[in-house]
Amino acid sequence: MPEKIIEVRNLSKRFGSFQAVHDVSFSVFKGDVFGFLGPNGAGKSTSIRCLNSLIKPDSGTVELFGESIATHRESILGRVGSIIEKPDFYKYLSAYRNLEIFSRISGKPSSKREIYKMLDFVGLGGREKDKFAGFSHGMKQRLGIAQTLLHNPDLIILDEPTTGLDPQGIIDIRNLILRLRNEQNKTVLLSSHNLAEIELICNRMVIINKGRSIVEGSVSDLMNSENLILRLEASPLPAAKNTLLAWKPTLLWDNVGDSSIQFPIEKSEIPALTKLLVDNNIEIFSLEAKRTLEDYFIKIVNQ
Amino acid sequence: MILLHSLYNEIIKIALKPRSYLGLAAITVLVGVIQFALKADGMSIISFVTASFEQTLTFEGNVLNGNLVAFIILQMLLIQIPLLVALVTGDLVSGEAAMGTIRMLATKPISRIQLLLSKFIAGGIYTLIVILWMGIMSVVVGKLLFGTGDMMVLNSDGLVILQEADVNWRYLGGFAVAFLALFTVSSLSICLSCFTDNSIGPIVATMSVILLFTIIGTLDVRVFDQIKPYLFTTHMASWRSFFEDPLPMDAIWRSIAVLVAHNVVLISVSLYTFHRKDIQS
Repeated sequence: MPEKIIEVRNLSKRFGSFQAVHDVSFSVFKGDVFGFLGPNGAGKSTSIRCLNSLIKPDSGTVELFGESIATHRESILGRVGSIIEKPDFYKYLSAYRNLEIFSRISGKPSSKREIYKMLDFVGLGGREKDKFAGFSHGMKQRLGIAQTLLHNPDLIILDEPTTGLDPQGIIDIRNLILRLRNEQNKTVLLSSHNLAEIELICNRMVIINKGRSIVEGSVSDLMNSENLILRLEASPLPAAKNTLLAWKPTLLWDNVGDSSIQFPIEKSEIPALTKLLVDNNIEIFSLEAKRTLEDYFIKIVNQ
Repeated sequence: MILLHSLYNEIIKIALKPRSYLGLAAITVLVGVIQFALKADGMSIISFVTASFEQTLTFEGNVLNGNLVAFIILQMLLIQIPLLVALVTGDLVSGEAAMGTIRMLATKPISRIQLLLSKFIAGGIYTLIVILWMGIMSVVVGKLLFGTGDMMVLNSDGLVILQEADVNWRYLGGFAVAFLALFTVSSLSICLSCFTDNSIGPIVATMSVILLFTIIGTLDVRVFDQIKPYLFTTHMASWRSFFEDPLPMDAIWRSIAVLVAHNVVLISVSLYTFHRKDIQS
């Protein structure tokens, strides 16, 4: 059993009459890239702020590295690097000076060389002396990542790190997260409403909605449930459609281009359907069973 | 150790923020304007004051000297300096909340108490720099421009003549008490800063409190007599006591005690509030 890096149990937080988080529980293990998924206002940011002790929960426990954040705040935060919501820095200071300021109180102050190296690592080499105020959104995000990694934390918490980035920036951040896990065995908690992002890079996740954690588990397990979407490319397609209707008269499909259709199906029905199509002399060019996280997510939050 | 690192950060931030130089620039301009006016037409103002004494006293030598000029300047400006201090210190917590950087700082392995204490100390250092600059501009530059000599002070008890050699230590004492008074303003603005995420609010609120307390202190109404001795604004002009002869030590110590008590309360309230605060900015 891998080491538990984060353990949240029955976390609740209320702001006035608004219950932001209600009884949320989840665990993150060493080496996980853990997805924290939920619609806007679901309670993700409040939960993450509780992890960083920015907000004190009304009830429940938050343990990082086996210790309570309430009683071991400083020693825990020395091992955590975070971007909460968006990276905010001092507008009137340079990129270098901003990193120097946060590094000085990180518990492991970095040398000038290390700061320059980190700026280079996130693609801000040559912009060290430029003021933060003049940075683009992508550059600000990169500086935020640099600030997060500079003191070499064991746990990295990234709250919507790709928001507002261009496609190349999103790919860069995604690759960076994967490198952190694969090459440095870092544990990453990634909050995002970008479902494809979670699907691509996370190995485990929790879905949170209306302040409650709904489901937690490995992304592959959650994606591998029984209800699938099957995309069929076949010829002749009209004959394939007639065969499908004869097999299941209530079946509804979507046309995908001129030669494909997709329709919901249970996993156990796929072998029989394949045999039926072949027996009816229909040529099958491709048969793709998929379950997107988006489908799953929408189903879960609407339950 | 991390407190020192955080203090160094706060000093860097103040030093590199353009707003911090506004106060020093304002002091330079204001003192310069007053010195120019006194240089140009100062004797007529002095003659107006000394006219009532000329039947019984004869004034000889350089009456309008640097010592007197510095006293006049301080009397005119030490009321405005709190605004210049609050402009910087009122922004130390709420400005960071408005910018979002307080969220970044609070995720670092430094306790909130240390983080806030470093801001109080940095605010104190800035206040000290403002006072020192005020001293250099008024006393040092004043003596260079107007020369030196015995100092004539007109207060409520009458005219006090202080020997030239007896003046410098009085200025040191006066500036020390003035620093304590301004540090109280700094503490008040930082304290108010802990309650809001708005950058301007604490600055305006600090000036409003000073204005309100000053008005209460000036009103000759019996109902306020009980509280007047405990208002910090009552003791903001205590630096003047150092220019009385003999020194009213009881009054000076009382002022110091009231100002220190204000600082203790304001800092304690700030630490308690900031420690418990949910950071949502």
